[in-house]
Amino acid sequence: MTTTDSDASSSTAMEEAITSTDPVTLAKVWAMGGMTAVLAGLVAGLLVSLERLDLEGAGIFGSGDELFQFWSAHRVALVLLGVLPMLIALGTTIVPRQCGANTLLFPRAAALACWTWLIGAGMTVVGFLVDGGLGTPDGGGQRQATALTLMGILLVVGGLMVAIMCILSTIFSGRAAGMGLGDIPYLSWTTLVAGTIWLGMLPVLAANAVLAYVDLRGRPAIRFGAEDAIWEQLSWVFTHPAIYLLALPVLGIALDAISSATGSEPANRGVLLIATAAFGFLSFGAYAQSFFDTPGTPIMEEAIYVLAAFAIVPVALVVLGGVLDLLRRGGSSLGPRPPASVVLSVIAVLLTVVGTVLGALRVVAPWDLLETSVTGAHFTLIVGAAIIGAVAGLNHWGQELLGSPGSPGMILLGGLAASLGVVLIGAADAVSGFLGQADFTGVDLATAGYPDSATAALNSISTLGAVAFLVAGLIWAVAGVKHLAAEPGGTG
Amino acid sequence: MADMTPTAPTRPRSLVIASAFGTGAVLAYFGGLFGIYFSIRADAMAWGTQWFPEGAIELAPGGMNMATMAVSAVTMGWAVHSVLNDDRVHAYLALALTAVMGIAMVNQTAFYIADIGLPIDTSQATTLMFVIVGSHLVMVSIGVLWLGLLLLRALGGQDTSRHRDLVSAAALYWYAATAIYAVIWIGIYIAK
Repeated sequence: MTTTDSDASSSTAMEEAITSTDPVTLAKVWAMGGMTAVLAGLVAGLLVSLERLDLEGAGIFGSGDELFQFWSAHRVALVLLGVLPMLIALGTTIVPRQCGANTLLFPRAAALACWTWLIGAGMTVVGFLVDGGLGTPDGGGQRQATALTLMGILLVVGGLMVAIMCILSTIFSGRAAGMGLGDIPYLSWTTLVAGTIWLGMLPVLAANAVLAYVDLRGRPAIRFGAEDAIWEQLSWVFTHPAIYLLALPVLGIALDAISSATGSEPANRGVLLIATAAFGFLSFGAYAQSFFDTPGTPIMEEAIYVLAAFAIVPVALVVLGGVLDLLRRGGSSLGPRPPASVVLSVIAVLLTVVGTVLGALRVVAPWDLLETSVTGAHFTLIVGAAIIGAVAGLNHWGQELLGSPGSPGMILLGGLAASLGVVLIGAADAVSGFLGQADFTGVDLATAGYPDSATAALNSISTLGAVAFLVAGLIWAVAGVKHLAAEPGGTG
Repeated sequence: MADMTPTAPTRPRSLVIASAFGTGAVLAYFGGLFGIYFSIRADAMAWGTQWFPEGAIELAPGGMNMATMAVSAVTMGWAVHSVLNDDRVHAYLALALTAVMGIAMVNQTAFYIADIGLPIDTSQATTLMFVIVGSHLVMVSIGVLWLGLLLLRALGGQDTSRHRDLVSAAALYWYAATAIYAVIWIGIYIAK
């Protein structure tokens, strides 16, 4: 293993963390950074929910533009700064071990990726906080701050891509001799599929960001860098089908965690490998950029988009079938109190399946739901599943990551609160969408789509869900800090 | 300990694999840009809108660059072949020639972009063209730096048939740069 760890007696924990190329240390940075971003995203989501309690005017925020900045920050924080880094934490440490590799290949590149991501994440957050973000509907943001956010996003994407390359290279050329790709455990397999697709999508996101950045700088924007156009160019990453890719490693976590806890292997491994691969390929979403629609043929009404939304449902059901089969055959060995990782990963798979069903309903043309809060409900279900699943994975492999199992009781409590929150937000926003409420409600009824009056009660339920989700995040954060503090050696 | 020659690792191509992933990511980046370029161009053509002003894009600079890149792909292949056969002199020549052609390509493009008389903010077409061509210039520049590193390693005797992965990885990247320029040449310089 190539490391640059210095002598522990002559360096502080911070120095050690910054200069280390040890995958476990890097995984801690990824996981802690990701969890912090999830918390920030949940706070932004709660504020947006509170604003939605009164659709007729601005209550918390000064304008629709400010609300939009937090609304978009919520999605960016959860996806690019939250869930993906948490999954990379597992990919950095657990995947090499599963593949029989001595360590992660290219450890210096992995360290570079980690710190590039962290700096980019910091720039992105600052960009949002200083009136920038990814554009605003009425052009009320600061151009320089928007440029800073775009640069931050580019660094984030660059860091994520390099980290994914290290993980994929390890799976391909670092795995033990005699171990075929079809033999690797489910987390490694789903990481391989998801990572490959991410490497196809993240550069396209970078291309969008570069185009917007170049057009934004120094002179009036032609089109791509216009304040009201930036989000629409990047928003494809935060919706169907690209969003499903976040849930793919979670399916692998569930299969591995349940398999390990029950001591049984899925009977139909080949089918599950094919199903998870199909799930990944159906999640490729770089083509679904509505901003570049040809007049008269919107991409979201094209066959490929609609077909992917429906085809992914049976694929997700196949994986659920595999999970249920494992529980049926080995459930008796779990006892009356199954491990937190098993409970949470089963919940994550169920939420993923529900999310795919809602995603299919969303694209039914006569219902006209694409611009409604059904899109937000879909996002919450899938990203919520990914967060819960990632936490389940961190808990399941906590012993290997930190040398102790952590606090499974708190992890479970947080997971149940998160599940409640995701279900409340998902159900309420889905029904609100059917009642005509827009995805981004703004601060006036026209932007909100003049929804049915019943959405007021539903928005209250959604806000309760946002509170529960945030409470879950706080419980997990406390559990994580306690876990790090109790780590043998105390380097946390 | 009769044979002290180290055995080849079971999966020795980690650099090539990583380079393949990296190059794939670069291809996806340009794929995104080309998708946007051709989509907007097709819409403009369908509406009868002028894409580039008449005579603004000349064929000769793009053609010269394409020829340069095509020849550099051949010299890159020569470099790989030479390293595979432990032919150090030819490896020096091939790597140096490839790097020089990369520098020439960057020089030609930079001169043409400065000379073209089309500011970046003229239209969507020019913004896209500058972003695509500029991104490719960055790609080629990185390739030239990589070739410089390879040349230093070759001079130090480190690029050999047993340690050829870095050359193979660079070649993969360079071929991708050539392929991308072929699309730029056809899509922007010829089709305009």
